[in-house]
Amino acid sequence: MHIVFGGAFNGKRQFVRGLPGCREAAWFEGELPRDSIPGAVVAGLELWVKRQLENGTDERELNRLVQDAIAHQRPRQIWILTDINRGIVPADPLERELRDVLGRLYQQLFLQAASVTRIWYGIPETLKGADLHENLHKNGR
Amino acid sequence: MAGNKMIFISGGVRSGKSAWAENKILHAKARRSIYLASGRAYDNEMAQRIERHRQDRFYDGWTTIEQPIHLEEALPRLKTGDAVLWDCVTTWLANELYAGWETGTPCAAQPGCMEKKWAALQETLHGIRAVSELLVVVSNEVMDDFIRDEPYQRWLGRIHLWLVAESEEAFEMENGFAYKRK
Repeated sequence: MHIVFGGAFNGKRQFVRGLPGCREAAWFEGELPRDSIPGAVVAGLELWVKRQLENGTDERELNRLVQDAIAHQRPRQIWILTDINRGIVPADPLERELRDVLGRLYQQLFLQAASVTRIWYGIPETLKGADLHENLHKNGR
Repeated sequence: MAGNKMIFISGGVRSGKSAWAENKILHAKARRSIYLASGRAYDNEMAQRIERHRQDRFYDGWTTIEQPIHLEEALPRLKTGDAVLWDCVTTWLANELYAGWETGTPCAAQPGCMEKKWAALQETLHGIRAVSELLVVVSNEVMDDFIRDEPYQRWLGRIHLWLVAESEEAFEMENGFAYKRK
């Protein structure tokens, strides 16, 4: 699993679309891939997590669903994660819960990921693992 | 000779980015150090703060140009060889995107309005670079939070992406350290 991480509107999707073989990839926006699809791109995870919390799914069940989705997609998959955890403590209790759950989930995903690339206004920075381009290039063949 | 160099620096509130940017300008040893200020006073405390900063800079040899909107109007006041600090993108965007809100017609609500201002800004920045020795653009990090104001954050992201792509150097400021990203 590869993670592309950064704040909103920083060019994360644009970056992923520019990677070799990623233009044709199956994109999952705000949802988890159900079946095994080679080269899946998962984005907008925060929207999916928010919906789960609104529906009363507890954190353990939510994490299990995420782990199932990851297990189905091995080895080549990209998760685009949006950083929403560096702002002021929200007044809305659900938003506070979302930040907490998402922060813990991101920590777990970072731990599992083969590589983590942070995008800052289009500029990639490798936080973990080998060069993302290289891996994708090799795996894409 | 105009150096045509542009540097982009962004960071959180009180991260030290303004002091860093001012240093860059002063080290350029240009004929004039220009402080292009987009801040606008909405209350007394802010007016006093702006005035105090303006005076501090005056004693340090800065020339201040206050330009909360219509940045292009500052262009004729620049001279070849100036070093220019623009502070900052976030206040400029707020001023322009919400211009007209008092009458219920903010730019953000009018189709094509911000597009036009964005095109003018790009042209102005190219114009500033053409005459200046150095242009340092300062902005803020406000994207690592919930989306509170989508049009504003979407525009800011778009502008930042362009600024980073156009700049020779781009820095992210955190806790007084400037991390070179480009």
